[in-house]
Amino acid sequence: MYANSLRSQLPHGLTDLFFEQAALKTDLEDLLREVFQEWGYQRIILPTFEYYDSLATGASAVLKEEMYRFFDREGHTLALRPDMTVPTARVVSTKLYDQPLPLHLYYIGNVFRYEEPQAGRRREFTQAGIELVGADTAEADAEVLAVAIDALRAMNIAQFQINLGQVAFLRGILSQETLSDSDLGRLEQAIQRQNDVELQRTLDELGIENEVARAIRALPRLCGDEGVLEETRTLCTNAASRRAIDRLERVYELLCAEGVGDHVILDLGQVRSMAYYTGITFHGYVEGLGFALCRGGRYDGLIEHFGRAMPAVGFALGVERAMLVTEIPVEVTPDLVIEASDDPACRQLAAMARAKGLRVRMDVLGRHGEALQDYARAIGARRLICCTGNGRYLLIEGDVQRELDLQTVEEEIISWKD
Amino acid sequence: MERLTVALPKGRMQKDVLALFGEAGYPAGSPNSRKLILNDTLGIFRFLLAKPFDVPTYVEHGAAALGVAGEDVLRENERDIYEPLGLDMAKCRLVLAGPPEARDLNLRTEANLRVASKYPRQARAYFQERGLSAEIISLSGSVELAPAVGLADLIVDLVQTGRTLRENGLVELETIRESQAMLVVNRASHKLYFQTIQEIIQNLADAVARRQEQKVAP
Repeated sequence: MYANSLRSQLPHGLTDLFFEQAALKTDLEDLLREVFQEWGYQRIILPTFEYYDSLATGASAVLKEEMYRFFDREGHTLALRPDMTVPTARVVSTKLYDQPLPLHLYYIGNVFRYEEPQAGRRREFTQAGIELVGADTAEADAEVLAVAIDALRAMNIAQFQINLGQVAFLRGILSQETLSDSDLGRLEQAIQRQNDVELQRTLDELGIENEVARAIRALPRLCGDEGVLEETRTLCTNAASRRAIDRLERVYELLCAEGVGDHVILDLGQVRSMAYYTGITFHGYVEGLGFALCRGGRYDGLIEHFGRAMPAVGFALGVERAMLVTEIPVEVTPDLVIEASDDPACRQLAAMARAKGLRVRMDVLGRHGEALQDYARAIGARRLICCTGNGRYLLIEGDVQRELDLQTVEEEIISWKD
Repeated sequence: MERLTVALPKGRMQKDVLALFGEAGYPAGSPNSRKLILNDTLGIFRFLLAKPFDVPTYVEHGAAALGVAGEDVLRENERDIYEPLGLDMAKCRLVLAGPPEARDLNLRTEANLRVASKYPRQARAYFQERGLSAEIISLSGSVELAPAVGLADLIVDLVQTGRTLRENGLVELETIRESQAMLVVNRASHKLYFQTIQEIIQNLADAVARRQEQKVAP
């Protein structure tokens, strides 16, 4: 039967998670929390909705359009947060500015975007990520990348590539040109597509020529290992673009020294991302997923919008996307079902098994015999204890049934591995 | 490594695209079969034959690592994929066309302009960018009929030689964009199989260049 009243439906792009999926998500979040904490990051928990004006700060036009907006009773526009970085910037600039720097912050929280669901990402989805605030160094950039790589490995994802770009190179090259935001957007899009004909046409239309045009046309090709750096150097037109390449080179060296260079591809053509990025940017791609699993980058101008200038770098990972590719085992079915008879020993046995860390379910419907066995089988429980009366207990494991007394059942439970 | 999936447009372009892959060193086993999935004989590719409009979707989602799609289709969908190589085939142009008397039409003063197209997004963008108002009527084919039966005043459609337009008594008013078939690549695949895909792009680029040389010097 179809649910034909809205009351029993969900809005498009939302979902309910239960059983294995809910357990997997919880386990992944625990795992990520552990990784972030091992690197010395501390959790921040922020409100789900805020003033629209705060959240729109530094956000791209697309992200602004995708926000869920509503009004409070005073008529202020509120919005559900579409990402975690902007609210973090607000907190840092307004509340944490006099803390010892750098700040190591992590978050796990839901964000909301009015967009078509894509590769596990729905209109409400969970981001887990870190922000490293107050350090404009290559070491900070490399650390954030290293944490991202650690997170992927912790999820048993072995086959991945990190695409490392540097938006400051393009900005440096373009620093003598006066381009409107929409023209810059067009140019970035043409670079990002790697469509050379379209890129040349866009450059012509924008009146960009000579060595600037030459450098920009080369960007889509500038993708690969350290050889790319050399080639990019020959295209620098000013100090800003040279500084950008120096930084990228240093970050790459640090990653190679960490032994993760093989997972990194340098890509100067990756110029489009969150609007607030100002330095290195990266995307993490994983075998079996057509979209990026994590994204990050340096955003030195964002926090300043809230009053105080501070450099920062961070990344976020889509937990639902990670669920599609992670290889961690999850167990959710009860290890043991126990009949809840009048015999007080039943409760004792259950407590014993719980103390061993097992998942124990008491049958609160008071079933016994065949009916209870059918139930235990239906939920896939590994073991079942029934009371047969007179201090005798039936222990059922798969096809094996044994009638035991209280002492032997207890011994049995003690012998189980958790 | 598993075979890389390549989404190719079924129909008009299919034979020529498979031929080009053959010239680039990736011959398809049985190019004339009616199957929708073909393997190349070297074990590198699995060719998937999809509706031309669906190719960018397969590639964006990573169901195919590579694909071939016309720019007309790419601009209509705006998928987030790479377009690293023009294949110099399926060349055509998206044009604004109408009956001969439409030449005298002043688009700025027409309040009730109706435009039929299989490319509603590009048609809408064309009028919007010029500050013109038009009602866009979305059709899935045989767009030339629309002016004849009074469904629309003008059409935005793809033209290769212009014959179909002429046969339906229509004339080209303006070219909106040139279009050719592009090689498209999924972003994740591009990084995960970087060396392999770079090599494929290079081999296809060489094959395209050889064709162009032959055209110049017959």
